[in-house]
Amino acid sequence: MKPFTYLQATDVPSALRAISSSPDARFIGGGTNLVDLMKYGVEQPAHLIDIGKLPLANIEPLPGGGVRIGALARNSDIANHLLIREKAPLLAEAIVAGASPQLRNAATAGGNLMQRTRCYYFYDTGFTQCNKRIPGSGCAARDGLNRIHAILGTSDKCIATNPSDMSVALAAIGATVQVQGNSGPRSIPFADFHRLPGETPQIDTNLNKEELITAIDVPGFPFALNYCYLKVRDRRSYAFALVSVAAMIDVRAGKIHDVRFALGGVAPKPWRVPAAEQQVIGQEPGAEAYGNAADVALKGARTFPHNAFKLELARRSIIRALTTAAVKGERNGNVG
Amino acid sequence: MALRVVGSSVQRKEVFAKVTGLAEYVDDVRLPGMIHGLTIRSTVARGRIREIAFEPGVPWDEFVIVTARDIPGKNIVSLINDDQPYLAEEFVNHLHEPVLLLAHGDKDLLRKARGLVRIEYDPLPAIFQLEDATEVMKSYQITKGDVDSVWAQAAFIVDGEYSTGAQEHVYIETNGMVATYDAEAGVTVRGSLQCPFYLQKALMTLFGLPAGKIRIIQQETGGAFGGKEEYPSMIAGHAALLAWKAGRPVKLVYDREEDMAATTKRHPSRTRHRTAVDSEGRLLAMDIEFTIDGGAYTTLSAVVLSRGTIHAAGPYRCDNIRVRSSALTTNTPPHGAFRGFGAPQSLFALERQMDRVARAAGLSPEELRRRNLLHTGDTSSTGQTMQQPLDLEGLQRRALDAAGFDEKVERFARENRTSARKRGIGFATFMHGAGFTGSGERYLQSVVRLETTAEGKVRILASMTEMGQGTNTVLTQIAAESLGTEYSQVEMARPDTALVPNSGPTVASRTSMIVGKLVEKAAAELKKALPLPCDYSPAEFGECVRQHYASDGAVSAEAHYQEPPGVHWDDANYRGDAYGAYSWATYVAEVTVDTATGEVQVDDFTALQEIGRVLNPVLASGQIEGGVIQGLGWALYENVQWKDGGMVNNQMTNYVIPTSMDVPRMKVLFEEVPYEHGAMGAKGIGELPMDGPAPAVLNAVENALGIDFFHLPLLPEEVLSALGHVG
Ligand SMILES: Cc1cc2nc3c(=O)[nH]c(=O)nc-3n(C[C@H](O)[C@H](O)[C@H](O)COP(=O)(O)OP(=O)(O)OC[C@H]3O[C@@H](n4cnc5c(N)ncnc54)[C@H](O)[C@@H]3O)c2cc1C
Ligand code: SF4
Repeated sequence: MKPFTYLQATDVPSALRAISSSPDARFIGGGTNLVDLMKYGVEQPAHLIDIGKLPLANIEPLPGGGVRIGALARNSDIANHLLIREKAPLLAEAIVAGASPQLRNAATAGGNLMQRTRCYYFYDTGFTQCNKRIPGSGCAARDGLNRIHAILGTSDKCIATNPSDMSVALAAIGATVQVQGNSGPRSIPFADFHRLPGETPQIDTNLNKEELITAIDVPGFPFALNYCYLKVRDRRSYAFALVSVAAMIDVRAGKIHDVRFALGGVAPKPWRVPAAEQQVIGQEPGAEAYGNAADVALKGARTFPHNAFKLELARRSIIRALTTAAVKGERNGNVG
Repeated sequence: MALRVVGSSVQRKEVFAKVTGLAEYVDDVRLPGMIHGLTIRSTVARGRIREIAFEPGVPWDEFVIVTARDIPGKNIVSLINDDQPYLAEEFVNHLHEPVLLLAHGDKDLLRKARGLVRIEYDPLPAIFQLEDATEVMKSYQITKGDVDSVWAQAAFIVDGEYSTGAQEHVYIETNGMVATYDAEAGVTVRGSLQCPFYLQKALMTLFGLPAGKIRIIQQETGGAFGGKEEYPSMIAGHAALLAWKAGRPVKLVYDREEDMAATTKRHPSRTRHRTAVDSEGRLLAMDIEFTIDGGAYTTLSAVVLSRGTIHAAGPYRCDNIRVRSSALTTNTPPHGAFRGFGAPQSLFALERQMDRVARAAGLSPEELRRRNLLHTGDTSSTGQTMQQPLDLEGLQRRALDAAGFDEKVERFARENRTSARKRGIGFATFMHGAGFTGSGERYLQSVVRLETTAEGKVRILASMTEMGQGTNTVLTQIAAESLGTEYSQVEMARPDTALVPNSGPTVASRTSMIVGKLVEKAAAELKKALPLPCDYSPAEFGECVRQHYASDGAVSAEAHYQEPPGVHWDDANYRGDAYGAYSWATYVAEVTVDTATGEVQVDDFTALQEIGRVLNPVLASGQIEGGVIQGLGWALYENVQWKDGGMVNNQMTNYVIPTSMDVPRMKVLFEEVPYEHGAMGAKGIGELPMDGPAPAVLNAVENALGIDFFHLPLLPEEVLSALGHVG
């Protein structure tokens, strides 16, 4: 591992000053992703700014029924928080589907949004081709093993997926990311937070390097309790999603009144297609409508030699997740 | 005589040291002046080494560098065929093959140096898959009766081809060694290993030194599963070469990625079956072709193949059997020993085939097997007469009863009609031969010694290694029982070739049964050498040992292996008594297959086995539970992904092994039929549980979906795609 300096930031302004002092400075939250990447030599920061002690770990109600999650709230604390369980159980379920209890105890909300892809070739510096790691070097996954890779939103430069479960739920819910830079705060709608690879796969998000995530705002939802987070993976714990679906549905008088869903494991960012949701509003709930929604959401999918199964799997998973969410809705009396 | 110590779940010998952190693993070893070693490996699967260059960027003169030309003795890892070099000299034959060694005190510099060694190759064509392989490393043929004479009389003939993938051991502790050299004492190596005397033999050849100048000491070993049987000879040799050249102790410890990519794995296999039965479902002929991928060098492939070949026809009685088997050479890192040693591969194929034969014959899987299972007095494929009392039909039925099989078959069929989650139940009936194959044990000539200590205790000296499976505990129990003393009054010497006799390797489910028997015999000898009264208490035993030690010094007794009477093995024709004893089992798996996602979850597992005497119930159950989980991993999760002859998912995050969340409810049941030549009646159990889970699970999946699968691991995408074809 390359030697680095370490600074424990005590307040937000000093953290921001420190991050701006060098292009090789990096924030560290729980460290569950960054430290691994440093050990593998994928990331080689010269300065670590530990933000773990910043006073940003609160989870508190927002006016209008939403919840604000501090960027340093631990994944476990978020999933177990009464407010989240009541207002955004979808998010709690998605978090618990990820990693392991030990990791969730350490991982922070901000770090989770910023975690990097699990593409084998990105992690293994023995491979010289990876545009995300070394811009312009090529993409070893295209001709290599691409079973876990994306089928939507890829570019010629990169076909990696975003591995976060939490982000899939936040995308479905339509959260807002609050950030703070040296020139002040700004809000980023969740759909704009992660980026598609395009020509610049090395840039995962629209967060500037010198900005700090301070909070994630989760809006209140009238049908938040009619939810399902479905994660299909190679084993029941400690595995990233092959395909995941975060879904919420509102059925009134036998018709779909409103619906939200997003996909994980299939694209470089959490994949939500509002047109797919619009498509089925007013239709009768059921496999046919959900299948229609899936078809719109998956339009333009392009598979690679080892991941062709993901397309059909995603379609079936969407139907399953919406069906399950609707059943929950029925039990809840179809009210929010 | 009622047993006191054997048969009870005493506390494990090494457990205190392990939980308190006192246990010393190889990476804990720190010697004065010690530096670190690193292996530079080939980056092509096959080629001629054109040039090796050391590019500027590190102070090369500070590094110890060893190439093939430095080797003082012979550049071969001495084992069976002596075809594998310690360091490639002119040609490399697989990816990650060791080419040269570096050592330096600074690990970071060492890693930097790795990137600065440039090796140029002229690549040569390479072979990566069994389908393309033609070079035969080893082959066998078993012939019983004449299969070709009966095809015409068959009522049903069933063909099938089955294949299995590689499997990584994923022991908790990765491989590693620490070596020292001194002109007087010679080479000393400490490390994580299963077979100290294998390393000694290999290093004698490498250095051209006598046994007295090669000393191997086992450190606490964090799991092995066969993965520390042959490859440690390579690592020990490398560490020793560096230490010899450096004149300082050298530590060489692999990280997980290197360990996964470069060391051995379970042999991928392909088995073809043609089975003939009469109209009653009685086996007329079994024609089996069993092929394994040996990788680039022989290592243990010849003996893995042997065990797989002998187990290929399973626990069935059939007059006409032909098994033709071969290990083929490819350009992948050599495959090697792994719990089960070839038997899981051929038994997977057989037990899937038997379900398909049953269907063809219009019988239930149980009934087809019932009509064909071996009885006492029947002969196996090699012509071995079953001498021990055998009740396999009963064993099979008791396992099915314990699993609630009949009721579930009926209920699942009913419930599956209306559910997208299909449930199924399946089983496998099988055996595992304990100890070395054929004349192996006779050649090994194992020895065990017991000696008394000043404190009134008895020490066991044997080369058997503890790697988490309970060797130390079980051998101690046997000695304490035989001597009539307490468990706490017997201790185990650390396996150290300078101190313990060669009791053979810790492999092949032989430790409890064979070496345990030697402990029992040596204990009887030791008792004779002590002035003990006819009747004595454990306390009196201790007092007698102490007093006798004070007056006459230590007493010791040895036992040497003797073949049980009436055992014959013809190695040329593969006829005769392949194993002294077999353990028998029926395993039942219950699964849910999600037809929307293709996921297979094992919900419930029943493992019933007859293993002779259970020496320690907790350890025995632990062996079965762990083995079943490893078997489930092989069946459903563990997918070694290859590219250009190398494993590419060599990380714990993408080589998927089951977690505790994936483990089903498990019922482990034992039946005890003591085996007179095994310690206190015990037979081997370590490998048995690896054989049954995979076929039981795939049979259960067939029961759930009505779709046959032929390949391991069975991944969700294969299930999905098969469901797609069906509609
Ligand atoms: C074995 C394993 C299995 C896993 N399985 C899953 C899984 O199934 N699903 C899943 O979703 N995740 C999984 N994870 C990933 C885990 O969720 C992430 O590692 C974790 O969420 C990262 O959070 P952290 O606080 O530890 O981030 P860190 O490692 O501390 O940081 C990660 C990145 O975020 C940046 N960062 C952190 N906080 C901020 C902030 N406030 N503002 C700006 N930048 C910031 C850091 O600079 C760094 O670049 C797994 C991880 C491991 C190791
Ligand atoms: S998919 Fe992206 S991350 Fe993976 S190798 Fe290609 S460029 Fe790198």
